Amino acid sequence: MAEKKLSKAALNKSFRNWYYGNLTCFSQEHMQTFGYLCSMLPLVEELYDTPEEQKDALMTYSAFFNTEPQLGALVVGITAGLEEARANGEAIDSDAINGIRAGLMGPVAGLGDSLVVGTLIPILLGIALGLSTDGSPLGAIFYIVVWNLLMWFGMKFAYDQGYQLGGKAVESLVGPTAQALRDSIVMVGTVVIGAVAATWVSISCSPNLTLPGGTTFQSTLDGIFPKLLSMVFTVFCWWLMTKKKLSPVVTMLILVAIAFVGVLVGFFDPALSY
Amino acid sequence: MTVNVFQAALFGLFACLASMPGMGGTSFGNYTLGRPLVAGLVVGLIMGDIRSGILIGAAIQLVYIALVTPGGTVSADVRAVSYIGIPLAILAVNAQGLDPNSAEAAGLAASLGAAVGTLGTVLFYGTATVNLVWQGMGWKWLEKGDLHKLYLVDMVLPWIGHILCSFIPTFIITMGGATMVDLMKTYMPMDGIAMKTLFTVGSLLPTVGIAILLKQVISKPTDFLTFFFGFTLSAVMGCNLIAAAGIGCFFALINFKIESMKIDLDKIHVSGGAIAAGVDDEEEEDI
Repeated sequence: MAEKKLSKAALNKSFRNWYYGNLTCFSQEHMQTFGYLCSMLPLVEELYDTPEEQKDALMTYSAFFNTEPQLGALVVGITAGLEEARANGEAIDSDAINGIRAGLMGPVAGLGDSLVVGTLIPILLGIALGLSTDGSPLGAIFYIVVWNLLMWFGMKFAYDQGYQLGGKAVESLVGPTAQALRDSIVMVGTVVIGAVAATWVSISCSPNLTLPGGTTFQSTLDGIFPKLLSMVFTVFCWWLMTKKKLSPVVTMLILVAIAFVGVLVGFFDPALSY
Repeated sequence: MTVNVFQAALFGLFACLASMPGMGGTSFGNYTLGRPLVAGLVVGLIMGDIRSGILIGAAIQLVYIALVTPGGTVSADVRAVSYIGIPLAILAVNAQGLDPNSAEAAGLAASLGAAVGTLGTVLFYGTATVNLVWQGMGWKWLEKGDLHKLYLVDMVLPWIGHILCSFIPTFIITMGGATMVDLMKTYMPMDGIAMKTLFTVGSLLPTVGIAILLKQVISKPTDFLTFFFGFTLSAVMGCNLIAAAGIGCFFALINFKIESMKIDLDKIHVSGGAIAAGVDDEEEEDI
């Protein structure tokens, strides 16, 4: 039997399906599962001849999947490589593939969220806002062009790398050196997320809140540590979700309650008008 | 200035594309068209006033730059912020004769954006819930071996949910335009509890997104120091994000070298000192 090799066309189609469809049919229950099925479909169709085989292979990917979708192209690429190996008779079963998928979801989400969503987007938007201060469309155009080029080619690169390395990619993602590298990259992300919180979250108390002596409470807080309230609320939300295991929705509702009470007692006052 | 049927329909269409989960895909839909600055350009083009669009979009973007939606959790809905909030804000600024480049206009835009964005989370949960129907059909088709129907489930049927939860609300609200703004102003006055709460919530909500990111990246208590370090770089030392990223990279490099040394030491520990020299040589060559 001739060795089966995925064609360029099938791989491109699989990539495009993931690029476009990773979240289009999102639900809280299955998240990216259907996007994943659609990106594996062209590959499965090329690798297996009978409809039964195709269906059986595709069923592997019906397990829940969710990660940062853009860096997640890497995982799809890896499974493309694994599926090809399986079609060629290598001893890889569904459980092995799903074990790898499940094992990569967390690390890839950690890397992707901290680097792409937490670091890259705020930086690009920060530059874009600077270019658009006087109402010029330049900043918006800059963001559209740079972000989309980075994502298309970045995701393509991640997908191809995953496909070429296949199972070996897993090693380079979870070995001890990879762990050290990943921790270090996440460290950059954590630093920038800290800077993003300090730069773009601005929680301040009512300007009418004054202490005896005439200084505002806000300036006293700034004297203790600038942006103290932004820090306190961020850590508070983290604590609610991590230590108290509350869902983000409940956390948001708690913030609504805090805002309401804060406004009632006069602690918060955005002092805006139409 | 008014919004005609054609313009309202375009806002509705862009709302379908830009949502999370949107029909424009994640990278081009949610993360491009859904960003208020980009939406400012799009809305500005549709309404024939690019300058106002960009200025209003930028004012709203400032509030939401830290708003991220990891793990499918949405604390403010981008389709509502971008394609309901920005058109309404442009109308309101225009009606009051404000200069779009003024602090008053920015404040007004940010408040309107926060108001519709928070209320708009209903639309997000609505779309995701409707998708459950298509997914249920998808599982049946998959069982039957009707594999090509999966494309229908993932890329075509969700449009129906978007027509219900994105197109129609956006169309009706922006079509109402100036009347809607007046209604909001009458029923939710800025000095009233409701709007004060809403805007305060708007300033608190980005912390949820950041906290979700933190949940991802913090695995041990000392990781908080890394976060605090970045916070201090910006809040106290005035570094912008690029500077903070540069400094972060430098510390990450040091961290990586230390960790690599630890791994090498472990290897030596396991296999005795004999290969130690060899390992070291290889490392030197790599650098």
